[in-house]
Amino acid sequence: MGVPPGRVTSRAWVRALLRLVFALALPAVLVAVWWAASAGSTNVYWPPLRTVFGVFPDVWTGERLRGDVLPSVLRLAAGYTAAAVAGVALGTVIGSWRAVRALCEPVLEFLRAVPPPVLVPVIMLFAGIGDTMKIAVIASGCVWPVLLNTVEGVRAVDPVLADTARSYGITGVARLRQVVLRSASPQIFAGLRQALSIGIILMVISEMFAASNGLGFTVVQFQRGFAIPDMWTGILLLGLLGFLLSVLFGLAERRVLGWYHGLRESGRRSP
Amino acid sequence: MRRLLVGLTAGSVLAAVTACGSSDPGGKDTAGSSGKATTVKVGIVPVLDVAPVYLGEKQGFYSDRGLELELVPAQGGAAIVPAVMSGQFQFGFSNTTSLLVARSKNVPVKAVANGAASTGRSGADFAAITVGKGSPLTSAKQLEGKKAAVNTLNNICDTSIRESVRKDGGDPSKVEFVEMPFDRMPAALDGGQVDAACTPEPALATVKAAGGKEIASNFHDVSPDLTVAMYFTSEQFAGENPELVKKFQEATAESLKYADSHPEEVRQILSTYTKIPATLLEKLTLPRYPAGPDRPSIERLAELGERDGLFEKAPDLDELLP
Repeated sequence: MGVPPGRVTSRAWVRALLRLVFALALPAVLVAVWWAASAGSTNVYWPPLRTVFGVFPDVWTGERLRGDVLPSVLRLAAGYTAAAVAGVALGTVIGSWRAVRALCEPVLEFLRAVPPPVLVPVIMLFAGIGDTMKIAVIASGCVWPVLLNTVEGVRAVDPVLADTARSYGITGVARLRQVVLRSASPQIFAGLRQALSIGIILMVISEMFAASNGLGFTVVQFQRGFAIPDMWTGILLLGLLGFLLSVLFGLAERRVLGWYHGLRESGRRSP
Repeated sequence: MRRLLVGLTAGSVLAAVTACGSSDPGGKDTAGSSGKATTVKVGIVPVLDVAPVYLGEKQGFYSDRGLELELVPAQGGAAIVPAVMSGQFQFGFSNTTSLLVARSKNVPVKAVANGAASTGRSGADFAAITVGKGSPLTSAKQLEGKKAAVNTLNNICDTSIRESVRKDGGDPSKVEFVEMPFDRMPAALDGGQVDAACTPEPALATVKAAGGKEIASNFHDVSPDLTVAMYFTSEQFAGENPELVKKFQEATAESLKYADSHPEEVRQILSTYTKIPATLLEKLTLPRYPAGPDRPSIERLAELGERDGLFEKAPDLDELLP
């Protein structure tokens, strides 16, 4: 299945290098344009990028990374994990039985359409104003793409495969793991990827209410305190965090879905 | 004030607008010369503090001077400061601390007229530190180690609460502040999510109606004549339109004076632009509306801001005040 590890040819190296160049070229151009365009700016709200970079190390000290970034990331991890577990579990149940699906679908569509930020005041009522509330907000938004994609993925299990598994006596947990979840996993991962960006947005939004630390909180504080260069560093950091998480996600996906990508690759090669 | 305290943010879009050096779409040319009314946009937060402007508009104090007001309700200072800076609004309304912080960070805001002030009576101010029904807290000192709700951190509410605690012999650094909008504070007190809250009217009356009590008058503790909020413009606009600014100042001063001596009319006009229930309207403690800002009280607020680390160096009040 796929390319065995260790057989990295020099062509692969060149390809990787090229990919890196492609990945970095546009950001480099954009930063250069931003740098040049803002160089002479005297506008308070639009400081020169030079100034923004200059204050970055002063703003994001070890203390602030520990006190604001770490709590944010932990909340995101907790909310996202909860959403992933709940989404896959519920999605599998709903996707497996036609009756459950028919029963749940209208309600799911309704709930999905309610944007989590408007739920914050409601969530605050039962979850208080602490971390629980923030984790609940993140989870309540992240769960939908995972759930709905899982439902679709589980529904789309190849009937021939399912029948074959049944005739070989593969049932219960083994069937769930080896047949259902495995064949739904590409779609589950698509949902997880969507949920990741939603999670970052909700992490910031949840920290705009009744918070006393966190990345979103800090950025808002800078805005209000007219510490505009500091605010920009926060925005840059959020962007970097999003980028980093998506890279990590890509690595995890590559591992878990290696078989699937390999399958597609070989499918493409052999007509 | 109110939700304006919620903060002063800036969007990059607005920043870009300012970068283009747009001046005033409100039209300075017609001011006075042609006899035609000049429309000025004023960014306000629809709360008690801005009642005089509504009243003055109704009384014709602005139109007498050739000004036609367009009062634009905003969510808070988040929208007002950048909008004034970019020239979308000619004037805006903001709490005094926010203006001090802005000035200390070289945002060229310029106060032009007074807004609202403490009533000067402790225990009967238009804002207070309140506790929920049945709370054991009775004085500001007891806030040590407790959670107090403020609408914006590092602003007028926490600075003034710290001062109340300090005056009561407590250690203000031991108070934990939590941010939430004013209208959510009564429920948060009830639910025990916070131990105390910085509540101006109508949140104050709401808390009291629910059985809560006030334990200190935090604005009064800063100064009995505390100038809580002011109207401001951008330095650029003030420099280019001295005539128009002068007319706005005169009309606003007249409106403030009128409002101060006609509290019943203030209550009436409140029902036109707020959703405060009629039963609550009569119970509200109105702020005072002095015609001009009280400089010593603003100096005191600046001192406290410096002490609490809101800014490293207090701004030059001569630059800020009219």
